Amino acid sequence: MNIYSIAYKNLLRKKTRTALTAGGIMLSTWVLATLLGFNRGYQQGLNRDIDNMGFQVLLTAKGCPYEAATLMLKGGTGLRYMAADVVKTVYKNAEVEKVTPMLMQGVFDPNKGENGAVAAYLGVDADTFPAMKPYLEFKQGGWFRDNAAYEAVLGYEAAELETREVGDKMLIPGVDKEIKVVGVLKRSGTQDDGTIFLPIAAVQKIFAKQGKLTGLGIKVKKDADLTAFENKLYDLPDVQVVSMAQVKTTIMNLVNSARVIVMGIAGIALIIAMAGVINTILMSVMERYAEIGILKSMGAMPLDVFKMIWLETAILCALGGAAGIGLAFTTARLAEAGVRYFLPYAPNGALIALDGGITAFSFALILGGGLLSGVYPAWRAARVRPLEAIRIEGEQ
Amino acid sequence: MYKILLMLCIFAAAPGRAAAAVGCDLNDPDRDVARLFPGSTGYKTRYVSLKTSGGQPLLDRVEKRLGDKFHGLYENIDVPYTLYDIYRGTQTLGYIHGVNQKGEYGGIQVFLALDSVGVIKSFYIQKLTSRAAKDLRAKEFAAQFAGLALKDFEGYDPVASKAAAGSPSAGIKAPAKAGGDFNSVMRAVKKNLILMDEFVFSKKAK
Repeated sequence: MNIYSIAYKNLLRKKTRTALTAGGIMLSTWVLATLLGFNRGYQQGLNRDIDNMGFQVLLTAKGCPYEAATLMLKGGTGLRYMAADVVKTVYKNAEVEKVTPMLMQGVFDPNKGENGAVAAYLGVDADTFPAMKPYLEFKQGGWFRDNAAYEAVLGYEAAELETREVGDKMLIPGVDKEIKVVGVLKRSGTQDDGTIFLPIAAVQKIFAKQGKLTGLGIKVKKDADLTAFENKLYDLPDVQVVSMAQVKTTIMNLVNSARVIVMGIAGIALIIAMAGVINTILMSVMERYAEIGILKSMGAMPLDVFKMIWLETAILCALGGAAGIGLAFTTARLAEAGVRYFLPYAPNGALIALDGGITAFSFALILGGGLLSGVYPAWRAARVRPLEAIRIEGEQ
Repeated sequence: MYKILLMLCIFAAAPGRAAAAVGCDLNDPDRDVARLFPGSTGYKTRYVSLKTSGGQPLLDRVEKRLGDKFHGLYENIDVPYTLYDIYRGTQTLGYIHGVNQKGEYGGIQVFLALDSVGVIKSFYIQKLTSRAAKDLRAKEFAAQFAGLALKDFEGYDPVASKAAAGSPSAGIKAPAKAGGDFNSVMRAVKKNLILMDEFVFSKKAK
């Protein structure tokens, strides 16, 4: 019988205690791997969401609400416009790869709810907008025929609320214009789900805003200096520059601050698990005091005893760690659903991104911590004096 | 972030988010319940669906009673219906229940406030896009539904958009220019009453 099987059999002698300690290690590993996976998944998702916006810079008229939620809060009012000429001005910059003009309009609909509500329409360019939003997929139909057509593409939730399908009609309240639904988008998990898209020239005509825009999405060439380009845009009169890179940096700064706290708590969980390991192994050593003494009297060297106890710790941590990694994988989607429920903003896609690197790191950390915790009990066991141990046992 | 950690600790008990068809909720339940049921002191919200209440046999029965099939992407067995039980103290005063109905230009949300035996107390269109929206949401139009119950709509045929001659539902006057949206509203009322009968009143009778 070799030292490995002795260590393993020793652990099986107190099955409940071994299982509880391994359970504690498993939970610590699960928390650690899940949190590390969340950190990675959130960052990847945020990058993906920003990239999916299609444009890195949004240009709006100064003081203009540039997304639907703000427009709703303002009751559909407060829109400011840029001249459509800005498209040409921006295009002159060598850094620009593509631009897409947008015109948002809000109409007060008195027949929504008890006191009325705002219906918002986003006029987009049928030639450039779809290419900027490659992640948008259609559940039914497709994009408009041309920019002047009285047609609409509905986001998933907008279509649900309005119970619209391709071929159905819509009525723009206030201006009494009929439009035909030509496309319904699949759920994207973005603001686009609640948006009603219309061709930009049609919106300009319906709302008498010819030659005006509320936003201009700008996609910058890959090798371009984004900061220098943004500085150029700041020089344009009466426009505000919304940098998606800045938005991303701001969100990541907030997430990074929270990460420090999260990692601190993960560290505490790790320390608690290690304390449990020390307690278990030390208790096991104390219970086997006489037995260890007999082993030594039969010729076992202190190093043999040390290795035996240390191996017990290693087996315990390896089993608990492996179970924790398995638990993290099996519960990742469930944990993700919970994170989405609690977080005010969560990017699309997998929020908990577990991979080989993260699992290996978590496992190594738990195993390393466990081995460190096992040093003291193993050292105590190695120092047992055979005669004293047998005498104490005899007195008991 | 502490919420995330809390969640991670109790995640096993967290329910998954259901992906289903769109429901029909009151925009502002506190205000709307007080308005539709003056004198009420509280309400309880519950969610029911044909799928969980009886499945396909129930859907078949509802369609038979309605005289029309459920159709479209948004009218199906998965639709979650929001039911408000209205109380004065511990006494049940009645119920509020809304349904979505496909209209000519958009979704119509038709709510009925029913007393404890299923008679309409109030009729309320929460959302509607129509050329006759003002008339369909007028108090005069809504008042025509007060006092009617499911038996009064049994003779209404939503496919032909006709009420049985002499039945109380035949006496409901359509506003001018309402066109197809009037028929949609009538279908929604009948559907609403049938669903309430299946979800509440027939169960009470048993």
